[in-house]
Amino acid sequence: MSYKGIFGTILFVFISIGALISAPDIEVGKSSFKNNCASCHNKNMKDPLTGPALGGSVERWAAFPKADLHNWVRNSQALIKAGHPRATELWNQFKPTVMTAFPNLSDDEIESIFLYVDGVYKGTYGPKPVAAVGGTQAPQDQQSGLSFWIYLIFILLVGLALFLWNLMSDLAYQMKLKAGDTTAKKQSVWQLMTSKTVISFVIFALVLFGGYTTVNNAISLGRQQNYQPDQPIKFSHETHAGLNKIDCNYCHDGARRSKQSLIPATNTCMNCHAAIKKGSQYGTAEITKIYASIGYNPSTDKYIDNYNNLTEDEIAAIYKKWIATTFAKDNNLREGAESAIRESDNQWEGIKNSLTSDTKSTIPGPIEWKRIHNLPDHVYFNHSQHVTIGKLACQTCHGKIENMPVVKQYAPLSMGWCINCHRQTDVKFTDNKYYDSYKTYHDELKAGTRQSVKVSDIGGLECQKCHY
Amino acid sequence: MNESTIWIGEEDLVRNPDFIAANNSELNPVSLESILEDEKSGMVESNRRDFLKLLGFGIGAATLASCEIPVKKAIPYVIKPDTIVPGIANYYASSYVNGGDYCSILVKTREGRPIKIEGNALSSITKGGTNARVQASVLSLYDYNRIKFPSKLNQSQIAEVSWNDLDNELKSSFAASKNIRIVSSTQMSPTALQAVAEFCTKYPGSKHIMYDGVSSSALLDAGLQCFGERMIPEFRFDLAETIVSFNADFLGTWISPIEYASLYAKGRKIKADAPKMSQHTQVESHMSLTGSNADNRILVKPSEQSAAIAFLYNEVASKLGAATIPVIELNEKAKAAFKKLAERLVNQKSKSLIVCGNNNIGEQVLCYGLNNLLGNLGTTIAFNNVSYQRKGSDADVNQLLSDMKASIVDAIIFWNSNPCFDLPIASDFAQALANVKTRVSLNATIDETSALCNYLAPDHHVLESWGDVEAKKGLLSLIQPTINPIFNTRASGHSFLSWASSPNLNSAAEQPYYEYLKNQWERKVYAASGATGGFQDFWDECLHNGVFTIVNSTTTPLFKGDVSGATSKLGKPSGSALEISFIETVGIGSGNYANNPWLQEMPDPVTRCAWGNYLMVPISFDGDRKFIAFNNVKENGELIDLTIAGTKSSVGAVKQFGQMPGTVAIAIGYGRSIAGDCGTGVGTNFYPACKLVDGYFQYFNSEVEISQSSGTVEKHFACVQHHHTLGVTAIEKSSGQKFNADEAALVDDAFKGIAKGFQGSLTDRSVLRHSHLNEIKENIEKLKEERAEFQKLNSHTLYPGHEYTYNTGHHWGMHVDLNACIGCGTCTVACMAENNVPVVGKKEIARHHEMSWLRIDRYYYGDVDNPNVVYQPMMCQHCNNAPCENVCPVNATNHSSEGLNQMAYNRCVGTRYCANNCPYKVRRFNWYDFTTADLFPVNQFNVAGEKNQPFYSDNLVRMVLNPDVTVRSRGVIEKCSFCVQRIQEGKLSAKKESRTLNDNDVKTACQTACPTEAITFGDMNNKEGTLFKKIENPLNYIVLEEVNVKSVVHYTMKVNNRDENLDA
Repeated sequence: MSYKGIFGTILFVFISIGALISAPDIEVGKSSFKNNCASCHNKNMKDPLTGPALGGSVERWAAFPKADLHNWVRNSQALIKAGHPRATELWNQFKPTVMTAFPNLSDDEIESIFLYVDGVYKGTYGPKPVAAVGGTQAPQDQQSGLSFWIYLIFILLVGLALFLWNLMSDLAYQMKLKAGDTTAKKQSVWQLMTSKTVISFVIFALVLFGGYTTVNNAISLGRQQNYQPDQPIKFSHETHAGLNKIDCNYCHDGARRSKQSLIPATNTCMNCHAAIKKGSQYGTAEITKIYASIGYNPSTDKYIDNYNNLTEDEIAAIYKKWIATTFAKDNNLREGAESAIRESDNQWEGIKNSLTSDTKSTIPGPIEWKRIHNLPDHVYFNHSQHVTIGKLACQTCHGKIENMPVVKQYAPLSMGWCINCHRQTDVKFTDNKYYDSYKTYHDELKAGTRQSVKVSDIGGLECQKCHY
Repeated sequence: MNESTIWIGEEDLVRNPDFIAANNSELNPVSLESILEDEKSGMVESNRRDFLKLLGFGIGAATLASCEIPVKKAIPYVIKPDTIVPGIANYYASSYVNGGDYCSILVKTREGRPIKIEGNALSSITKGGTNARVQASVLSLYDYNRIKFPSKLNQSQIAEVSWNDLDNELKSSFAASKNIRIVSSTQMSPTALQAVAEFCTKYPGSKHIMYDGVSSSALLDAGLQCFGERMIPEFRFDLAETIVSFNADFLGTWISPIEYASLYAKGRKIKADAPKMSQHTQVESHMSLTGSNADNRILVKPSEQSAAIAFLYNEVASKLGAATIPVIELNEKAKAAFKKLAERLVNQKSKSLIVCGNNNIGEQVLCYGLNNLLGNLGTTIAFNNVSYQRKGSDADVNQLLSDMKASIVDAIIFWNSNPCFDLPIASDFAQALANVKTRVSLNATIDETSALCNYLAPDHHVLESWGDVEAKKGLLSLIQPTINPIFNTRASGHSFLSWASSPNLNSAAEQPYYEYLKNQWERKVYAASGATGGFQDFWDECLHNGVFTIVNSTTTPLFKGDVSGATSKLGKPSGSALEISFIETVGIGSGNYANNPWLQEMPDPVTRCAWGNYLMVPISFDGDRKFIAFNNVKENGELIDLTIAGTKSSVGAVKQFGQMPGTVAIAIGYGRSIAGDCGTGVGTNFYPACKLVDGYFQYFNSEVEISQSSGTVEKHFACVQHHHTLGVTAIEKSSGQKFNADEAALVDDAFKGIAKGFQGSLTDRSVLRHSHLNEIKENIEKLKEERAEFQKLNSHTLYPGHEYTYNTGHHWGMHVDLNACIGCGTCTVACMAENNVPVVGKKEIARHHEMSWLRIDRYYYGDVDNPNVVYQPMMCQHCNNAPCENVCPVNATNHSSEGLNQMAYNRCVGTRYCANNCPYKVRRFNWYDFTTADLFPVNQFNVAGEKNQPFYSDNLVRMVLNPDVTVRSRGVIEKCSFCVQRIQEGKLSAKKESRTLNDNDVKTACQTACPTEAITFGDMNNKEGTLFKKIENPLNYIVLEEVNVKSVVHYTMKVNNRDENLDA
């Protein structure tokens, strides 16, 4: 369907519903989506998650009456049982995952949701990413334009050189002939290419280019931008920080007061996961790892006594039982069903692999996360300076962590990157009494001769601010 | 003779074939061999092939490393204790105790490991000060030579046993023993002593014997005789206007040096407007740390000390109309001085203080008698909080030896004591020990005594233990653990209690000894405290503060000493032409600190020698140009044969100013035969040369013969005296010409008939300035004029308009009060601990490669035969116009907007131009990978000599490293950073609290360590700060101000109060 068609459909829906009752509100749709749909459907509307991507679903259902889509949302299983062709198609695609029924959603609310879905899908709603894209694209265009001219000039120069060489060798040949040298020959291209001048020029150019590349690569040696390793627990920042909006400082409680932001201890996880025992995506498979690390028995809701001294089999028995029981209950199986046992064996294998390593042979004990952000030992970085005093958002350096199911290193963490930020960032100068000793700057700010105090103005570029 | 022969020396003329052969080869073969031999030890042997191999390996490894970055792990806690935030240091109040050495401390821990010791300002004894031993104690916690588990020792085979088995075996042994002896150093813990008392009750035949490696037995016995208690009264050095010390090194080693130093400094600091200071006279034969701080030194031979005290006593007594005592002969010069001194003492009744460090009961009683005559009892000698910092008894330990010889001792327990080394009777003791059936050692390391035991029950290190201390009466302090015991060790108190099967020890408890301690405190201290709250509150507060005072008031006891009886105990002058005294050094003590490389590496304040003990020999001056050193010693470190009472040993000699002619001195505590990797075999043991006289150990000997100098300098003689000197020039008297005293190098050359005196303000380089108290006004004027002249000269600039003003934000600066500095070296060790300064070892020091960021330069001035001393702590001066900065080709060292001279290690390429251009010589180059910071183990460095690995490569030792300070790799320069990590931390805490920075936010490591508060650091822009007030002192000067480097470290002029009358 063409864009015109989609637009037409939306317009039609919009107008027809708007004419009947009140117009469906895109903001209402947004909140409804977040409350009801976002745990299974991807927020970007483009990629499938537990459920299919919602973008374009109105079009996919366009062949059927509107009420079918509404019914599908309210109770999909009923529609499947009724043998609705689109419903069956979807079931075949996503079974056995069952879509949660939402019998309480009104037509209006459902329409609002789809309005929001479409808005996001087509990029007409929300902060336009166009600006950012444009920002990075514009210099790229410039860059490519520039290199085009450089290539052009280079080619012209090479052409000119060949032309001149041709001219010169012709002249030399003629001169030799005139001088009566009958054996004289015109210099061939091969002779040119193997001449000392050309060879030494090529070697020179290669050395220059090689040196340039070596230096550049050596500088970036050890940097790990975009490093995104698999972690022992499939912990999703998207779920925790994004959907559930848990404050970063709640788990990373060092960030506001210490040098390190701190990977949360297992007991921090337990603050919530003593109650939340099943994950939205992996069920018991991941959260049980927390329990096995600290020694919490989710079946009895008690911490296990003397956990560190239990044998691996004893530990396995406790958690396998929990996994099997939960699996059986969720799938309406009888207690001890074979598939539940199989499931618990599988999950336990994963748990064991995640909690043990070459250096850690027992299951109880800390979870060994893979460290993503590594600064060299000669760099001193203090989170609290940036978070508490500089009042920087975590995202400034860590990227949109709330959108990352698996965390990756967003920033290059290179010195140039640090320095650049120190050049551009304003110090929260007037809020903090500490800066009172910088009288000159305060005077200048008052007099209006200075607009702002950058980090670099108070020594943010000096070696011993970070290296000591 | 052939007329055309050209010659340089007589060798050419005689055509000596060896000489010609040697000259024909390019390199002198002999020296090359010796160099190669020299290079073998401690370094990787390498040749061209090795180089190529390493090159290939290096490139290969680098390539591999660049392909795949190793996965690093981030391992969080399972259950995070809420008091620990990784990245933030926790401080715990505790106490440092080792035998009689005591200091109330704060222990800095990071991520659960102690990394630095600070003084506890709440203590009324040490008042926030520390000393070198306290600072270094954190390193001995991570000593890999510690005993790691309870064990049985059989023919030097160690077999691990469980505590249970050990206890059971020992209990049955003790039960079968009639006579059990517990041998310890001074123990000041009421709770541990209670545990021992329980042990003694359980086994009635047992007895606890204490002794001190350097004995104060006579002092204690004199206390018992004169005042009815075996204790040491409070010496109020702050209240005394005249201090006379008979051989008591109270600033360095005697009883409670931290306490005394802080009191002493109070009376020595000068206010320019109202100059007043105490007058200190030291009576000794060798230049001790205390003697070097004295205004006057009266030189008497060690055997004349008795005569000296008796003479002074008689002079004072006759003036005051008291009874005199029989006269003993004394040298005339000293007599004249004492006559003058007696006049002064009598004029300053009850404002003087006389102390005596000799282990002679007659002298000690006379000394108290003298104080009694002068009315000092109750004023400068107080009895309210008497000290228990020495408890040892020579009589007891001698009795023990005869008991052991008579085989009546069945079991012996050594508790923090090493009598097979640190007693003059050590070899007899070791022999007699074979007669004892059950020998148990609670010592932390295998030492000379533990090695002869058959059971090892290792005690915790003090930083791992619970405990308490009563260093002075009523002044209690607690010891709390700051780390889980690293090894399978057990508190000694716990051991005694469990051997006693004490019902008061709850063995089932998680920390049985902690419960016991708490119980004791509840019953004794809490009951006596008069605290109104509950016990838990009381306990928590005590633990938080680290100290608790039980108020008591004691009336000054009447003097009951038998002065006339004491005269019979006095020593007689030996009449020998040569006498030797045995002294304790600030670092090594009685040898119990020998395995601590920080203390070995700290140069002795006076001789400036590290890693060894050297014979201090006198030198004499002919009045114009020539110095004649004792027995032909030309260079320091020349080996000399020393025969004491028939025993011969070869030691290096050090020419020592202020050493009395006819006397020599050497330190005891060296020459440990079993002390661990760092301490074994360093120096020579002179304990056997000490004698037992009248039941007291005597630390001098008159039966000494010394050979002429052999002329060969000891191999790797490590004396830092002439390392990193500041280019002092002097003026020769006869010609009036200037010469470079540095180039002439040796101290005695620096004395070459200098027109006006010696170094300092008397030369044309303003390194040192000093004045007599009476001339202070004139010298302030002179200083003002000179500084004005310097500033005028310096105002000319090639770059007008490029002035750094530092008028906004901070401008860091420092002030060093040379009148407070006693040269004890605490700051240098504190600096090593704080800044991960590497240990380099003896050989490297010999090559001028010591790495200390802060050194203490020692200068002599005044009378050549009996000079005064100035100690000058010298660190990076953070010049605003730094000469090091503009010679760096890579800008690795540059200036910050806060006035710091910054050093970026990772930028440094090691040209060393900066070190070359530094006028203060404070930059240090990493010649080796001393701290194993490099990725590949090439040219790593081994200080211990025995092990195959470098000292700092041991993971246990590395736990002491400060995580906030970069570990430097090979090939880079380093230097004092003004503890920039502390500056940044202080700024951060001010920012977090949204307030301006104050003086307490930033204190450097040297500043906090100093017992006399000689160093002040701060922001010179803060007009309200302490530093700003101090730098306005008219006594201040800047070292080498004339060279226009604009240093920010201010020194005060050294003022002495020398009494010229005593010199006459």
